[in-house]
Amino acid sequence: MSESIIWYLREFLRTEWIRKFLLAKTDPLVTPPYFKDYPTLTGKECTACYQCMMICPAPGAIAVLRHDDGWRPEIYPGHCIRCGLCVEACPEDVLQSGRVLEAQHRDRTGFRATFHLSIDREICMRCGNCCISCPVGREGEPDGAVLKIEKGGVQILNSDLCTGCKTCEVNCPNRGIRVARVVEGVQEAAA
Amino acid sequence: MVTVEDGRIVAADNACTLGEQKFLGEPRLKGPIQREGKGWKDITYDEAILRTVEMLRDAERPLLFGWSGTHVEAQCIGVHMAEVLRGVIDNTSSVCHGPSILAIQEVGHPGCTLGQVKNRADLVVYWGCNPIEAHPRHLSRYTRYAEGFFLPNDYLDRTVIVADIRKTETGNIADEFVQVTPGGDYAVLSALRAIVRGKRDIIPRSVAGVPREQLFRIADRCLNAKFIAFYFGLGLTMSRGKYKNVRNAIELVSELNRHTKATISAMRGHYNVYGSNEVNTWMTGYPFGIDFARGIAFYNPGETTAIDVLARRECDACLVVASDPAAHFPRACVEHLADIPTVVIDPYPNATTAFADIQIPVAVTGIDAAGTAYRMDGVPIRMRRVLKTDYPSDEEILGRMYAMLQEDHPP
Repeated sequence: MSESIIWYLREFLRTEWIRKFLLAKTDPLVTPPYFKDYPTLTGKECTACYQCMMICPAPGAIAVLRHDDGWRPEIYPGHCIRCGLCVEACPEDVLQSGRVLEAQHRDRTGFRATFHLSIDREICMRCGNCCISCPVGREGEPDGAVLKIEKGGVQILNSDLCTGCKTCEVNCPNRGIRVARVVEGVQEAAA
Repeated sequence: MVTVEDGRIVAADNACTLGEQKFLGEPRLKGPIQREGKGWKDITYDEAILRTVEMLRDAERPLLFGWSGTHVEAQCIGVHMAEVLRGVIDNTSSVCHGPSILAIQEVGHPGCTLGQVKNRADLVVYWGCNPIEAHPRHLSRYTRYAEGFFLPNDYLDRTVIVADIRKTETGNIADEFVQVTPGGDYAVLSALRAIVRGKRDIIPRSVAGVPREQLFRIADRCLNAKFIAFYFGLGLTMSRGKYKNVRNAIELVSELNRHTKATISAMRGHYNVYGSNEVNTWMTGYPFGIDFARGIAFYNPGETTAIDVLARRECDACLVVASDPAAHFPRACVEHLADIPTVVIDPYPNATTAFADIQIPVAVTGIDAAGTAYRMDGVPIRMRRVLKTDYPSDEEILGRMYAMLQEDHPP
C-alpha cells in the first residue's frame, strides 16, 4: 500500500511533469486566410446601387446609409451571417471579406438579377410606407420613383428602376408588397 | 392631386384608403329628406331649415352634437346657436379623446407640431393606437419614413416602439413591440416613470405582462434618444384608468424632458375634432360638453356630455352635425335618440339616419366647400374646394338657422 502511494507521489511530483502541467502551451490561434469575417469597407466609393441589400439573405443585416461625404454600406453584426454575398454583388468593390473579392476577381464571377414587384391590393392600406421608404429616385426627378400612390392604389411606375433592395417589402406592415428576385451567378469567359 | 371628370372626383393621388374613400365618396343624398310613416319624402332646403328651427324652438333642452367633421366657421355658429337655445353642445371628443383633454387640463400638454417630429424625432412611441389602420399616412408623412432635416436616413435613423394589447400591423414594423395586459397601461407607464427616475431596483419581474428587462430596454432607448415623439390613441383613453392613463403618459414625457427632449400628442380621429375643441374653448372656455341651460357656459364631463344627457333621457331634441352617434353610442342613448325629434346635417346617409326625422345633405369641406380645419397637432389649415356643386355648406345652413333663432331673441 505504502509503496504504491510513494509510487504515485514520485510519478506526479516529477519536476518535469509539474512544469509541463503548469506551463503547457498550445499552438497560437491563427485566423486562416480563407476566414470570412463581417464585411469591411475597402475605401472605394459607394454609388448607392443597393446590390448589397438586394442579395443579402439576412433581414436587417445591411443598409446603405447617407453620410455628409457620401453613401456607405453599414453592416449590422447582430444580423449578418457573414455569407459574403454582398461583397460579391457590389459592382464597385466597396466591401471586402476574407478572400471573396480576390477569388471573384480571379474567377471573374458576378451576379445577374431580375426582380418582379407584386402588390396585393386587397390588403394594401395605401399607407405609403413602400413609396416613401424606397431609396430609388429620391434625389432626382419625381418621375424617377419606382412606386407611387395613384389611381386608387400603389402603382409600379418604373419597374426597370427597381434595385430589388426589398426596402418596400421590409417596411410594409401587412406584407402587401413582395419583391421576387431571380438571381443567377455568371462567369465571364477568360480573356 | 385630385382628378375631376364631369363634375365628379374620379381619382385621388397620394391618398390612403380612408382618404380616397372620402374624396370619391359614397352615394350622397340629392336633397333634404323627411321621415313620413315608414318611408322618406323629399323636402326643400327652406322647409328643412324651418322645421329644424321649429324643432329647436320647441325643445326645452336641445342637444347639439357632432361638429368634428365640419369646418370651424360652422362650429362657431353652432356655439352661438347653443347659447341662444340654452342647450347643450358637445362634440365627438367626449366619446374619444375627452379623457386626454381632462388629463391635459390637469398636467398640461408638452406637444409640438408634426413638422418638428418629422425633422427631429429619432424615437417614436405609439401607445394604444394603430396608425396603419386609423391614420395610414402618419408614418410615411411625419414619423418613421419621413426624411427629416436631422435624420437623412429616415427609417434607419429612427426607432419605433409600439405598445398595445395585441400585435397590430404597426407592431409588425416596429423595432420594439410591447404587449401590455388589457387595463395595464397605467402600471406600465408608472414603471417606466420609476425607471426614468432611477428607481430600477423597485421594479417587479413583470409589470402588466411586460418583463422587467424589456421595460429597462425601453427606458434606455428613451433616455438615449435625442427627441422622442409619443403618440397615444383610444387604447389609452378608453381603457381602464381613462384620463389617469393619459396623465401618467404626459408625466412620463415630463420626466423624460429632464434627460432629453420629449413630446406627446393624441392621435385625433375626425379631421377637425381638434378644431371643434379649439372653437369651443375660445368661445366658451371649455373644450366639449358645454351646457348653456343656466345662460352661461357650464362644463361638467359626466353630466353635460352627450352620452349622459341622452342616457338620462334629458334632452328633448337633437341636432347632429357631421358625425354618426348611432354608430358609436350605447344602446340606451340611441334608443332615446330614436324617441326624440332628431335632425342630421351630413352629406352622407349613415347609421344615425335610421333614427333621424330629417336629414339635410351639405357640401363636404375640402371637396365642394372651403373652410378651416385644425390638424391633429393643432395647426389650422385652410381647405380649398375642388368642385363646385349646388350643395350648401354647413356654415350656410347653420347660418340661416341661427339667423332665424336670433329673431326670437334679439340681442
